[in-house]
Amino acid sequence: MDEQLVSQIVEARAATLDARRPAALASARAAGTMTARERVDALVDPGSFVEFGQLAGAATESGDDLAADGLVAGAGRVCGQPVVVAAHDPTVRGGTQSDRNQRKLARLMWLANARRWPFVCFVDGDGARPADPLPAPPIVIYPRGRWDAYDGLAELSGWAPTVAIVGGRALDGNAALAQLCDCVIATGAASFGSRDHASGAVVERPAADYGKGGHVDVVVEDDAAAVAAARRYLAYWVDDPDAATAAGDLPAPSLSPAHDALADVIPENRRRPYDMRKVIAGFADADSLLELGAGWARSMLTVLARLDGCAVGILANQPSSPMAGAIDAEAADKAARFVDLCDAYELPIVSFVDNPGYMVGPDAERNGIARHHARPLSALHHRTVPLYSVQLRKAYGLGPYAMSGFGGSRVMPDLRLAWPSVESGGMSLEGAAYLVKRKEIQAAATPEEARAIRDAYAETMRDQASGLRAASSFSFDDVILPSETRSRISALVSAVPRVLPVAKKHPIRLR
Amino acid sequence: MDISKVEALTAAKASQADANRPDAVARVRSGGRMTARERIAALLDPGSEVEFGSIAAQSADGEWVAEAGGVDFVGTIDGRTVVASSTDYTDHGGGYGAGRLARLMSVAMDQRWPIVFFVDGGGSRARHPRVGMGHIETSGAVGPITLFDGMAELSGWVPTVAIVSGPAFAGHASLAGFSDVVITTGGSSIGMGGPPMVEAALGKRLSATELAGVEMHNETGGIDLLVGDELEAIAAARRYLSYLDTVAPARTPAGGGGAAGQPPGAARPGSVADPADLVPDDGAFDVRPVLDTLVDAGSLFELRPAFARSLITAFARIDGHPVGLIANQPTVDDGALDENAATKVARFVELCDSYELAVVAVVDTPGCVASFDGGEPETAVTRWHLRAITAHHHRSVPLCSVQLRRGRGLGHAVMAGMPNGRTIPALTLAWPGVEIGRADGFSVVHNHNSFDDVIAPAQTRERIARMLGYLGRRPTLTTKKRPVDTW
Repeated sequence: MDEQLVSQIVEARAATLDARRPAALASARAAGTMTARERVDALVDPGSFVEFGQLAGAATESGDDLAADGLVAGAGRVCGQPVVVAAHDPTVRGGTQSDRNQRKLARLMWLANARRWPFVCFVDGDGARPADPLPAPPIVIYPRGRWDAYDGLAELSGWAPTVAIVGGRALDGNAALAQLCDCVIATGAASFGSRDHASGAVVERPAADYGKGGHVDVVVEDDAAAVAAARRYLAYWVDDPDAATAAGDLPAPSLSPAHDALADVIPENRRRPYDMRKVIAGFADADSLLELGAGWARSMLTVLARLDGCAVGILANQPSSPMAGAIDAEAADKAARFVDLCDAYELPIVSFVDNPGYMVGPDAERNGIARHHARPLSALHHRTVPLYSVQLRKAYGLGPYAMSGFGGSRVMPDLRLAWPSVESGGMSLEGAAYLVKRKEIQAAATPEEARAIRDAYAETMRDQASGLRAASSFSFDDVILPSETRSRISALVSAVPRVLPVAKKHPIRLR
Repeated sequence: MDISKVEALTAAKASQADANRPDAVARVRSGGRMTARERIAALLDPGSEVEFGSIAAQSADGEWVAEAGGVDFVGTIDGRTVVASSTDYTDHGGGYGAGRLARLMSVAMDQRWPIVFFVDGGGSRARHPRVGMGHIETSGAVGPITLFDGMAELSGWVPTVAIVSGPAFAGHASLAGFSDVVITTGGSSIGMGGPPMVEAALGKRLSATELAGVEMHNETGGIDLLVGDELEAIAAARRYLSYLDTVAPARTPAGGGGAAGQPPGAARPGSVADPADLVPDDGAFDVRPVLDTLVDAGSLFELRPAFARSLITAFARIDGHPVGLIANQPTVDDGALDENAATKVARFVELCDSYELAVVAVVDTPGCVASFDGGEPETAVTRWHLRAITAHHHRSVPLCSVQLRRGRGLGHAVMAGMPNGRTIPALTLAWPGVEIGRADGFSVVHNHNSFDDVIAPAQTRERIARMLGYLGRRPTLTTKKRPVDTW
């Protein structure tokens, strides 16, 4: 072969690497981020990356040298599992999307869809490339009829996991790309935004602002932490738990040091809040958690975890949240989306219940709770993954159903457990006590006195044997001690093999 | 048989007739409402009704006890079989004490019958009122489904319409909230927790309408339609079903506007104006007169009209073909798509897809906006917007779009889905004033400006009507595609 033909290729490849792009490297260092190639290298198992389109955009006659056309793309492995990965390079035309690099992305989408491989994209760039010419006369363009970025992600939704890691500015098309993914991980350097169509000015906000609205799932400090979060997220989808352990993304399954504290989590005073995260930490394998959506709908917790090595999704009320675990419209949306996610990817759901019911009042109604409340109920009804629920303390009204579905339903929970502190009913004891003692309470001189009257009467209404009664009436499959929770559920989780269905069940609702 | 047994039964049933309940009827009248039986009589085709579960129990001394709290029927609307039910707020607070409705839901699931129910009431009864009697009524799980999970199961399989006239709280609000479409009368209310519960929980003393009035829901999207009285609500429910021939075929031509049953070409448009005269080159214009030139006279039936007003969702007929119509409304926020407008698109597309209605998109939007921390809308994309794209991607009903002028940013994809990939529009049209080749942060690589044809505005109705005729009706699926999301 002509030596020059070979050396052209070798040289052009070398020119795309960081070592030959000192300005790009310096720019990343100045921003405190990794380069696009460093990000990909950090994500995939060492030596596993197979690059696609490395020479796309390489200098030819035009002399215009665009390293990999601003998108490092290819296939690799995470915890031994094949994935496709792409990284926008903010040092090449601002990380913009061109027709060519979008075709690279489309190749990966096709691969991910055809092979059911997870898709990971480092999103960092300014949307569509302004200087890129339209590919054809723009009057009549027949559709190209293949995966493109957005519809490729819509197709993957519920078929193979998709993860966006945002480590810089994501504008317009890049923001859309990220937010179509199942899981959006954002660093402190991340922002989302759009160019104003009239003025051309960029309107951007830190990713945390989007997190408050439920548009970001995990917020971390920097690229390294983002990569670790992404690898951990993907580790839950790996069939073989040992592979994730061997790769160092999840520790070997072991009892959490917080497990012994489970017995003492529920306060003696039944009205006192407690932190549900302590329950989750004690229940799951040590250091096996990844919380999703911590930045919004704080009364509802959604956490990926492992239980004796098996991946599970944990859905839980948070009694220490400002609403004491009441489920408002956003919490309902968060729960429904998480159930969709777990069901689509065949992750069994463990639900920890302690809520005073759906949120009531004029604000909750204005936010549409009468509509939104049905979303988790419907999601739970349509799931086919196993669900194991534990009612730790209270659940009133429709509250228990929101977390575990209808007991008499066609799709009932596989296991319904309760702790001895369980209490249920149409409305809370305090609410019922208020209605009985309404006149006295309204005549009270101070709010403290009013509360004291209410609470004292509620105490007289309290069923002193609620746990035993719940068990004897067979309202639950069993009433157990907190220390038994892990072993009971683990026994059933490990008994149901995790088999992915041959066809996609449903997409995962974005909101 | 001892004739007295038949007479006793007849008397027990007659006791529930309005004529024999003057006090109850007076209470209903004082609220300006119709009785449960009057509602059903007005809803169903005359003479079609068959009552279910009118006798609830037999007492220890052999007396028949009539059902209380509501009535349940099977009957027809324009010849299509439906389950029709109404609570009776004057009787046990309209409480659902038993499984009558759940049982009919199970039959509706098997037969694919739509459900139309009036659900005013204050939630389930605290205690079953007839403990110790011999029950005729069904209670508990009698079929594959019970009440609330039944609503989830039916969603996306049979159309469900809730009419709320009066207060609906707790379980009743839940039934409404699960329904595909919620039609309400002025002064009604829908809330998860009623005034006593709110007072107990939050210490706020509010009337039902202050707490959760439908006038508020009308603007925040919690309901689909607000009308003046129950007869209007009934007419709206009947009309809604008239568009869903695909899943609930009428045996006689549908009433309530439109041109059902007419041969193609027989229907006349709502306006013969040249749409070119209705759309300026720049600036705001009202899209409703434009829609009138596209759809059959009197066939436009708008849902959620006061919510996210920059975007219109409506059922309509085009030359007799029923369609779901989505249109930007440039008189409101310049036609920008905020989070609510995008949600309105997504849910409506999912609804149309579930019940096999073709979608027609009329596009003229400056793009997507969102608000943060209660601030003014700013240019942005969120997951609410992308939900619409996902909805388009997963629909299998055809979509025809016409872009009048602008389809900037992600706006075109929110309205009509991606122009390439798996789920492409069946027909994409543009008018001569369309923006072509405009660069923005989305447009370069996505061919947002790809059209099958650029046409004179006056040709729009005919082109779309012809295409709808070619597309025809898809065979009804034997399984449901998805539940209809409630938000």
